[in-house]
Amino acid sequence: MKRLFNSPCWALLVALSLMLAPTSRANAFDLVQLSLQLREPTVVRGTFTQEKYLRALPQPLVSVGTFVLARDRGLLWFLQDPVQQDYRISAAGIARRTPNGWKQTSQQGPAARQNELFLAVLQGDTEALQRDFELQLTGTAQAWALTLTPRSRLLAQIFSTILIQGGATAERIELVEAQGDSTLLTLTDIQIDDQLSPGEHHDLAD
Amino acid sequence: MTSPTDHALRLPAWLSSLFFLALLGLVALTAWQWRNGPPISANLLQLLPSGAPGELEQLAEQRVQAPLNRDLMLLVQHEDEDTAVALAQEVAGNLKASGLFAQVRRSVQADLPAMRQQLLDQRLVLLDRASREALIASPEDFIQQRLQRLFSPFESTSLVPVEEDWFGLADLAQRRLPHPGNIHPRLDGALLAEHDGQRWAVIHAQIHGDAFDDKLPLLVDDQVRAARHRVESQQGELLAAGGVLHAAYGQRQAREEASLIGSVSLVATLALLHLLFRTSRVLLVALPVLVGALSGAAACVALFGQIHVLTLVLGASLVGVSIDFPLHYLSKSWTLQPWQAFRALRLTLPGLALALATNVIGYLAMAFTPFPALSQVAVFSAAGLLGAFACATCLLPSLVNVPLQPWAAPLSWAERALALRQRLLGRLPSSWLLAGFVVFCLAGISQVSFKDDLRQWVSRAPALQQQAERIGQITGFEPTSQYFLVRAQTADELLERQEALGTRLDELVAEQKLRGYLALSQLAATTVAQESLHLALPRLLEYSQPLLALGMTAGALEKELAALQAKPVTGLDQVLAGPIAEPWRPLWLGTRSDGTVAGLISLQGLRDSSALHGLADGIDGVSLIDRPAELNRLFAETQRQAALLKMFAAVVILALLCLPFGWSGALRCLAVPLLAALGSLACLGWLGQPLTLFGLFGLLLVTAIGVDYAILMRERIGGAAVSLVGTLLAAVTTWLSFGLLALSSTPAVSNFGLAVGIGLVFAFLLAPWAAKTTEEPAS
Repeated sequence: MKRLFNSPCWALLVALSLMLAPTSRANAFDLVQLSLQLREPTVVRGTFTQEKYLRALPQPLVSVGTFVLARDRGLLWFLQDPVQQDYRISAAGIARRTPNGWKQTSQQGPAARQNELFLAVLQGDTEALQRDFELQLTGTAQAWALTLTPRSRLLAQIFSTILIQGGATAERIELVEAQGDSTLLTLTDIQIDDQLSPGEHHDLAD
Repeated sequence: MTSPTDHALRLPAWLSSLFFLALLGLVALTAWQWRNGPPISANLLQLLPSGAPGELEQLAEQRVQAPLNRDLMLLVQHEDEDTAVALAQEVAGNLKASGLFAQVRRSVQADLPAMRQQLLDQRLVLLDRASREALIASPEDFIQQRLQRLFSPFESTSLVPVEEDWFGLADLAQRRLPHPGNIHPRLDGALLAEHDGQRWAVIHAQIHGDAFDDKLPLLVDDQVRAARHRVESQQGELLAAGGVLHAAYGQRQAREEASLIGSVSLVATLALLHLLFRTSRVLLVALPVLVGALSGAAACVALFGQIHVLTLVLGASLVGVSIDFPLHYLSKSWTLQPWQAFRALRLTLPGLALALATNVIGYLAMAFTPFPALSQVAVFSAAGLLGAFACATCLLPSLVNVPLQPWAAPLSWAERALALRQRLLGRLPSSWLLAGFVVFCLAGISQVSFKDDLRQWVSRAPALQQQAERIGQITGFEPTSQYFLVRAQTADELLERQEALGTRLDELVAEQKLRGYLALSQLAATTVAQESLHLALPRLLEYSQPLLALGMTAGALEKELAALQAKPVTGLDQVLAGPIAEPWRPLWLGTRSDGTVAGLISLQGLRDSSALHGLADGIDGVSLIDRPAELNRLFAETQRQAALLKMFAAVVILALLCLPFGWSGALRCLAVPLLAALGSLACLGWLGQPLTLFGLFGLLLVTAIGVDYAILMRERIGGAAVSLVGTLLAAVTTWLSFGLLALSSTPAVSNFGLAVGIGLVFAFLLAPWAAKTTEEPAS
């Protein structure tokens, strides 16, 4: 029983790490510069809209919420509509908020492994990404597009491509699954800060 | 060369012919026994009493032992993960090509369509207890959670597509299945385990047959060495663990030790004899040793089908005792001049026969313990001694019937030593010495630990042990020999009982006393639970509004529920047949002939075995099988039994000794070895060594050998000094074979060697007291 992938999560993290990059450089924009930019801001906040297109359903599953990304700490992802659920990704894994506090979701299965890969992404480690994906960067620091193509056959059975686009920040992540389902993630109202609020601090510390 | 008297003293010719015939038969028998390679086993379990009396218990034991014996786990680590995976691929390819393995796995080969089908077909029975209860208690919340999973960006995608699983039952069943261990597929399918920030490529192999098949372990070990060499040449690291590697180590170690200790003691003994008797003819005394070893091995294989390496190591040196037979009469050459082999034999034959009888009685007493280990060693030794005795009496005298002029000096040393002893006894009476000795013994014995442990039976392989521990930490697979056997009338009852026990085990896991466990109840629901789930299903429809809002159609939802309800309940055996059930399959012991069923709960990474005791209280049909504890209990029991048997043997020997020596002489002769054994035990105490089962066996051996020395000193053929030289010679040669065992890396063998080595010193020192005190030593 292999829980193989956690696909939207993937794209999300790639995007979030990439969007921490409001820069304006004149020279050709490359992956190294992109990853260097990712490490700069301490805290990023914003709202998200996720559209899941499932073949089986006539309409997309649309959800909205807010997020907080803290460098070296983790990610808070607050799903607000149509269902409410708070998530947290940190070095310890993925947790869901329950009435009794944060509860770590099962860390068995490949999800546990993926999680560390996500954190590598959070830290702007494009090297780790290149292990599993071909990365293709086009455009400039103000308007770039990064295409991720799976290297392995197994991975290609799940994803066909992941496309991330950004201007001053990443704005659009599109993930196309091999089976025909796809997910589109749009990030808006991005704000950069240099510290966490006490509540966020508490959520990430717990 | 031969004198008329010598002729007259010869043993009848038919005896030698008979011996030759027997020897030929023995060689033929051995050749036949070894026709398919050496019948040598390294399986420790064969030396242990089978503690599992019933067929079911034996089956359970087999199931639990199988992974311990057959699995080989290799981990490859390299700075560059891709290099590690590539190396693992290469190593796995080599292992496969070797043909030694039934299975070599390094990547996910899961048959996803088959898994998907099982999830679809059996989603109700596979659903875990908490989810079932949640569905029944609140269908509304259940739907709400389904919604959350659909929207969540952080939940893994499901094997079963949404259109075949609108309510997400299969999705939930998949999610909630426990994943034993910490090994996960990489994105390209390669199996990896992560620990402390390091990633290890995993190869899991299963050997053909058993770890204890004679040649297999060494071949597998060679493969692992080659793999290690390859990985290390690329600056990588390789860890390997498996029962088969321990078996290989044990075999190598035992063989090396047996040949090293055997040859050192043989060479040293022969050199000593050559020095003393000054003719290479005397080296023929090795013949009885060879014949003895041959008879011992043949008897063991004939009785037990196989001979264990541990028996071989202990037994080979036991036969070293057999060199004493020819030495006893050869040592008479110091005074019986001109030397006539047959005359010396005739003179010493009664003493030799007596020594043989007492020794064989001593060994055979051991054969009656329920421990196959002791029985094997006892049979080996008894048969070996008989063979050696026959050779020493029937064949050897005619071979050494040449003029012998031994080196004279030792005789004068012995005379001086005896005189010194006399003077000492004049100042300090025997009774004082005895009292002092007894005090020494009591103080020492009070410090002896009688703790026995199976771990002392295998040679320490710290490198292997360390690797196994690291692999356990990294992969989370730490197979444990303790497990639960659950019996029940029906499969449903079995699942209920396992579930009840599982709840208690969950607590141990939470308290970190246990890493994890596998139970059938984790996999399948009872038919009763499935039926109540059937009843609750229609209520899902009442709360399905949120799903309809997503665009699912009422018709599709109704159709799915109707199909689920129409399905008959699924039996445990059907679930076990599917691919998802692979890790649980060995736990099911099936339906017994009386209609009852049985299953196991296996444990991983047990930190504290005492936590298990009493855990199953109040749940019927559950028994905790704690084989190591059971064996250690058996050790203690066997120690007691062996001591009793030996006492019985002592009584028989006493009766035997009464015939030639009378009551007081017999008691004296018996007191010498018993005191020697006590002294040796006391020394173990002073040295802080425990008395193991094999140590005890060593002490019993000391009493047997000590009787020999006492008889020699008592009979005093050729004079006290000659007898003392003979005894010293016998003691030194025996010591060369046993004392060296103290150097063995197997704690049980080393403990044995130490017990015998020290005991021999005491037996020799005490032997003069066996003689009548009133007489002056004759010369």
